[in-house]
Amino acid sequence: MPRRKPLFGLVIIAAACLCAAAAPLIAGYDPTQTSLQSLDPPSSAHWLGTDELGRDILSRVIYGARISLTVGIGAALVATLIGVPIGLCAGYLGGKTDLAVVQIVDLFIALPGLVLALIITAMVGPSLKNLVLVLGFVMWPPIARMVRGQTLAVRESVFVEAARAVGGGAGWIIRRHIWPNVLHVAAAQFAVTIAFAIFTSSSLSFLGLGVPPPTPDWGGMVRVGFDYLIVNPAMSLAPGVAVAVTVAGFYLLGSREA
Amino acid sequence: MLTLVVRRLLLAAPNVILISALLFFSVSGLLGSPAGLMLGQDASPEAIAALNARMGFDRPLAVQYLSWIGGALTGDLGRSYTMQESVVSLLLPRIPITAELAFLAILAATLSATVINSVTVARGLVRPVAALLGIAGITVPNFMLGISLIFLFSVKLGWLPTTGWAPWSDGILEHFRHLLMPVLTLSAFYFGSFSLVYRAEYEAVRRQLYVRVARAKGLSETAVSFKHVLPNSILPVITYIGITLGQLTGGAVVTETVFSVPGTGSLFVSAILARDYPVMLAISMLIIVGVALMNLLADLLYTVANPRIRLT
Repeated sequence: MPRRKPLFGLVIIAAACLCAAAAPLIAGYDPTQTSLQSLDPPSSAHWLGTDELGRDILSRVIYGARISLTVGIGAALVATLIGVPIGLCAGYLGGKTDLAVVQIVDLFIALPGLVLALIITAMVGPSLKNLVLVLGFVMWPPIARMVRGQTLAVRESVFVEAARAVGGGAGWIIRRHIWPNVLHVAAAQFAVTIAFAIFTSSSLSFLGLGVPPPTPDWGGMVRVGFDYLIVNPAMSLAPGVAVAVTVAGFYLLGSREA
Repeated sequence: MLTLVVRRLLLAAPNVILISALLFFSVSGLLGSPAGLMLGQDASPEAIAALNARMGFDRPLAVQYLSWIGGALTGDLGRSYTMQESVVSLLLPRIPITAELAFLAILAATLSATVINSVTVARGLVRPVAALLGIAGITVPNFMLGISLIFLFSVKLGWLPTTGWAPWSDGILEHFRHLLMPVLTLSAFYFGSFSLVYRAEYEAVRRQLYVRVARAKGLSETAVSFKHVLPNSILPVITYIGITLGQLTGGAVVTETVFSVPGTGSLFVSAILARDYPVMLAISMLIIVGVALMNLLADLLYTVANPRIRLT
């Protein structure tokens, strides 16, 4: 039974990636093309209706996968590139390096990720590139902590001791012996980080600090659609469901507890 | 006990000061002179310079920080740039609203996570449903859940008000009608997180020898679950509650925005969008101090939950 959950997550991720890659083929309309048919209810021409500027909602939801996946994967890459080397070094070297890393990680935990992301985004300005960098910067501490923990365990193994005994340097031992045994933890955390990066970026967009319009972005669409909830609920609920399902996909794939 | 509290507070103080300095320097450094923000885009350089000199914004950042932290320690958090009011007078009426929302949400999440998982883990009948609810709680964003609840209970059924806040003076019923959906929305994520932590510990504790002895003596599964396993599995949840309550002292930014709750979270979002950084910094500090205090409270609660633990 537990094996089915990552598989289920993988199916969801594949569907989201397909939407993102084949958006021009799947979506019936240009997501930024406005028309006079504003706030139309769902119909055979527009399955989820149109928004306040007459744009097809379904097409915007499909194209929105591109932004969410770009932000999610991009931010997770940045977080991994920062967190993995720091976690490896802290766990293997120990001592003052470890103490310093633990202190820095604790500092980050004092402020919730969303609050920190809000403050930094407000300072640097919202754009796709900034969102990726900000979320990557906010999300590296859990990766570093996880990798450090696993490194601490692997460091005590006999094969690491043997590598040290034959004169292996710290860099070589980390690269050849520690990293292959930490990789599975980092990979799982990478998937969870993508989930929370999509979650946080959509929350930022909902609060008005996401990718600027007219780019189709799920969080921003939910925010605009909220004002028209009575007229056409799909305008807000459809992108909201897309966020929830995509986040669940990555979470199921990566989380060991799920 | 008092010595312990004082020692822990003294240990937390350097971290609080360090984070406040990092925040102050980065916010002030990146946003530039507040005079430009206060006077608008059309302000002349002379007017900006005059305001900078009058408000002390032309002083070195280190001096401004010392002046700000000194003021903060004496209860003066400066004035809002956009609302022309002192930050303290803006915050004071909002803190009880956020505190009530956060407390009720955490209470609901803790009770539901511990009770549902104790029952389901013991019986194993509805366990997949509880696990699914936990995953949904973690992965469905607050704004999505909030809007779905508004759509169902306000738009479709007309049972609850869409948004807004009713003070106690409007009557208990009206107060809780406005509070119900925000509390549900906010508690969903924590229900999922607490469930994960609690279930893992619960599984470990129920394999202990004393639990098997309790079962062997003929106690029912419910009695074993609630009397013996639950009290010994609650410690990690207490840690989580400490961190969460601390973080929520700054408000539940998304939930408060969705439901237009006039708490510190919605004020924080307005301040961010308006780049009103005295308010931003004050609420950030509230969160940092809140996390430090709630962590301490969680440590103290450990000794209540498990008397074998002695804090040093």
